[in-house]
Amino acid sequence: MNTGAIRPYAASAGLIVLTTLLGEIIRKHLEPTNLVMFYLLVVVIAAVRWGKGPAIMTSILGVLAFDFFLVPPYLTFNVASIHYIFTFAGFLIVGLVISTLASRMREKTIQAGRREAEAAALYRLSSDLAASDTLEAALSAVRNNIGRVLGGDAAVYLPAEDGLSPVSADEGLPMTAEESATARRVFETGVTGRMDAGPGRAHHWLFAPLKTSEGILGVLGVRFRVTAGNLSRDEANLFDALLSQAAIAVQRARLAEKSRQIDLLRQTEKLHTALLSSISHDMRTPLASITGTMTTLLDQNHELAFPERRELLETAREETNRLNHLVGNLLDITRMEAGALRISKKPCDLRDVIGTSLEQLKEAIGARTMRITIPRDFPDLSVDFSFMIKVFANLIDNALKFSPAESPIDITANFSNCAATVEIRDGGIGIPACDLEHIFEKFYHTQRPRRFAGIGLGLSICRGIVEAHGGKISAKNNDDAGATMTVTLPMDPDGNRS
Amino acid sequence: MTREQGARVLIVDDEKGIRSFLRVSLSSRGYAVFESATGSDALDKSVSAHPDVIILDLGLPDMDGVDVIKEIRARAKTPIIILSVREDILDKVEALEAGADDYLVKPFDIAELQARLKAVLRRFVPSDMGDILNAGDLAMDIGAHRVTAGEKEIDLTPTEFDVLKLLMLNAGRVVTHKQILQAIWNKSEDLEGVLHLLRVTVSNIRGKVETRPDWPARIITEPGIGYRLRSGDSSD
Repeated sequence: MNTGAIRPYAASAGLIVLTTLLGEIIRKHLEPTNLVMFYLLVVVIAAVRWGKGPAIMTSILGVLAFDFFLVPPYLTFNVASIHYIFTFAGFLIVGLVISTLASRMREKTIQAGRREAEAAALYRLSSDLAASDTLEAALSAVRNNIGRVLGGDAAVYLPAEDGLSPVSADEGLPMTAEESATARRVFETGVTGRMDAGPGRAHHWLFAPLKTSEGILGVLGVRFRVTAGNLSRDEANLFDALLSQAAIAVQRARLAEKSRQIDLLRQTEKLHTALLSSISHDMRTPLASITGTMTTLLDQNHELAFPERRELLETAREETNRLNHLVGNLLDITRMEAGALRISKKPCDLRDVIGTSLEQLKEAIGARTMRITIPRDFPDLSVDFSFMIKVFANLIDNALKFSPAESPIDITANFSNCAATVEIRDGGIGIPACDLEHIFEKFYHTQRPRRFAGIGLGLSICRGIVEAHGGKISAKNNDDAGATMTVTLPMDPDGNRS
Repeated sequence: MTREQGARVLIVDDEKGIRSFLRVSLSSRGYAVFESATGSDALDKSVSAHPDVIILDLGLPDMDGVDVIKEIRARAKTPIIILSVREDILDKVEALEAGADDYLVKPFDIAELQARLKAVLRRFVPSDMGDILNAGDLAMDIGAHRVTAGEKEIDLTPTEFDVLKLLMLNAGRVVTHKQILQAIWNKSEDLEGVLHLLRVTVSNIRGKVETRPDWPARIITEPGIGYRLRSGDSSD
């Protein structure tokens, strides 16, 4: 027995001594029987403060001290009057009963206090968990609370692609192969495991599985700061309670994550459906024209005059161009989405980029007036020639589409120390104000008439390419008529070398 | 023009549709047409059919088109025109460096193919052109160092003259940066400094021979590859 366990007994004995001294002083004025009350008071005190054992000892010591010191003849255990036997018996019985009752009350109080602490710990954990909306936050709440309650540092291990890995851990917690191996064993067997302090390890570890109805979701590892590796029964119970809370939290967070993913998937699916219907419309329309013209030519070849045949064939060709353009755009956007856009920047002559774009649009431009203004001393730009052609061809093609055939189109380039800008300005119908912000978004349809409708990929491809060059693209309506698209590209600080 | 009259073309493509319309279109223009659907058959016919030009698809069922080019080049200089859906510059450069003479991306315009065929055949068919080169209304008298565009006399520096001469000798065909650097500056690598010189030179030539230098119609840029001088034949 250690000193901690002896102290209540010593204190009880001390109280009996004090009571006996008091009795010595006042026994001349009182019937000795009345002094029993003082002893019983001491028994109550011992029972409430120190529990059953000290209280019983106090009762017995009390009876003996009372008999020896306060009952005549003094300083012997003999008694002068037989009725003192009844007093002793009554004293002892009452003392024992009080001991039992008072100590039981004491235990209940202590238990209540403990339960309160447990409830508080659980409450703190659950309110922390309620406030955490991601798996990460839930895990750190679990770690903090369990660490605080048990006086240790904690880590949560969750299954990952390559086995079990510590996804959330207190700072400075060693994550050696040994800990991981123990955690893995606990995860596989579902049996709590421990690693005791010893040579090479200063602390005790405890690894407990996070069990839910779905099975074991992960493992909680705790490293005790104070080296007492054994948990008391109450601590163990509390730990279990916290553990099951933690398990439920992990499960809930994972479900939330899953439902978020499902949500995302549903949105993507919706987008895909919209895209598919758009694509099938945009592909079927030219295909319908082509099939129509071809079958007409096949079935009625001899009834058709030469100009009619020619017209049909030209329609078919235009439609195949349209189809090819659409397929090209879809390929580009797919590459962009997949992050497979290979931009290879090389010094280029902007005049050449614009000129080549114009050449590609030769047929669409026809007799339209194109006013091109590029300063003679325009420096080389470090861009991907082919991709920049796509950008300008797209923008110029849009300008042609959305402006009357007789209106000119202006292409103006300027440069400063850090940036080059190219403006493409048309004198057409402009962009509805409500669309201005959105026209560079994928699959965005403007409020424009259907004859202009595509699947809204061109401008978002332009933006993707320009942004991959570290540049910007913007649209605005002109004061008089039409719209201006502006491409801004960063300039190499050291001039024309890339 | 009757240069293609009787020229022998080997078409290598695994798509029957492509082969059949090419056969119709090219034989009606007087070509003798041979067909292969696989790389190995193409290698056989490239010898047995004595083609003057080979039209080659890169995506063949049995071997990669680039390997076909290399094997043909290992023993013959027969011009090769690539017809492929691969539009990446790297694919084009790879094929051209393996020895192909020109590259056309599918879908293509048949007139464009006809022009390219003429261009590669022109180069390899001996002619009595003498010292005068022609491309559209551009004319170059090599001996006299004189260039005219229509009636207009064009004044070129010696380097500009050499670059334009190279383009005119190969009128209608793509001339790669590498080929130009090699021929004019005797540099075998794409050194950026020399490339810059080339860009400036081409820009200057355009300033002199193009009606609208900011919208070139004669000297066409092949992005990432090189330049092509329009030969002035129909539709190229």
